[in-house]
Amino acid sequence: MAWLQGSALGHAMRESGVWTYGVVNLVHILGVAALFGALLVLDLRLLGVWRKIALAAISEPTVPVATIAFFVAAASGVCLLATKATEYVGNPFLYIKFPAIALGLLNVAALNSLAAWRQHKTRELTAGEQSKLAVVGGISLFSWLTAVTAGRMIGYW
Amino acid sequence: MNSRLSSSICAAILTVSLTAPPAWAHHGWGGNSEEEFELSGTVDTGVSLAGPHATMKLKAADGKVWDLTLAPPAATQRAGLKEGIIPVGAPVTIHGHRNMDPKRLEVKTERVTWNGRTFNVYPDRK
Repeated sequence: MAWLQGSALGHAMRESGVWTYGVVNLVHILGVAALFGALLVLDLRLLGVWRKIALAAISEPTVPVATIAFFVAAASGVCLLATKATEYVGNPFLYIKFPAIALGLLNVAALNSLAAWRQHKTRELTAGEQSKLAVVGGISLFSWLTAVTAGRMIGYW
Repeated sequence: MNSRLSSSICAAILTVSLTAPPAWAHHGWGGNSEEEFELSGTVDTGVSLAGPHATMKLKAADGKVWDLTLAPPAATQRAGLKEGIIPVGAPVTIHGHRNMDPKRLEVKTERVTWNGRTFNVYPDRK
């Protein structure tokens, strides 16, 4: 954390005007909003809501939006953290947020390893496969909701 | 979801956010004591206008260094408290609310007085 705070990024964040933090914070919120909004729709579909709409029709817009939004949120988040990184040592919400993000990313890796997910655009899925995807959707909602909640609470500790 | 239900939910969220206590607009004062707190000492580290809140450090007479959390950077600057205005080592008196945890030497600071000038970084708080 001390290294991050002392880095060129930390210096830039602290020394480039009184609005810098606010603007970067805005970018972070937009990233989080787009990420959570996109995956909320996808996860609900995986959990069985809107069955009339083909999964492929929902995954096509939500997956790229969530992916780009994740990188926007992550990059802006590192900038926010670098500003006063050492102040967050001991903040319990940070220790909830980052494991929750790790769980969310592992879940993405698990999803990508499932044949049902890799083939959902080209064939009908069996009931068993749909249940597997529903579990992934549930874990996804849980992990990202936890990450967003803990993230919001960091500033109130 | 039908549109009437959606509009009711939106109206409910809007109502709650508009009527929420104004204290929510701050990054909580909940972790700070209600009691008014005043402290005098010398500037150990000058004002920094980095986000999310401006900060400075104050060395008390007993040699202990206190972390002062000021208003957000733009508000602190509007109150006239810019970086480098108060020199390091200058005697100052601050007013605010200290951290609820007695082991943490941190004060959410509302006013800083130096050399006859008062910088009121939270003008809407007494």
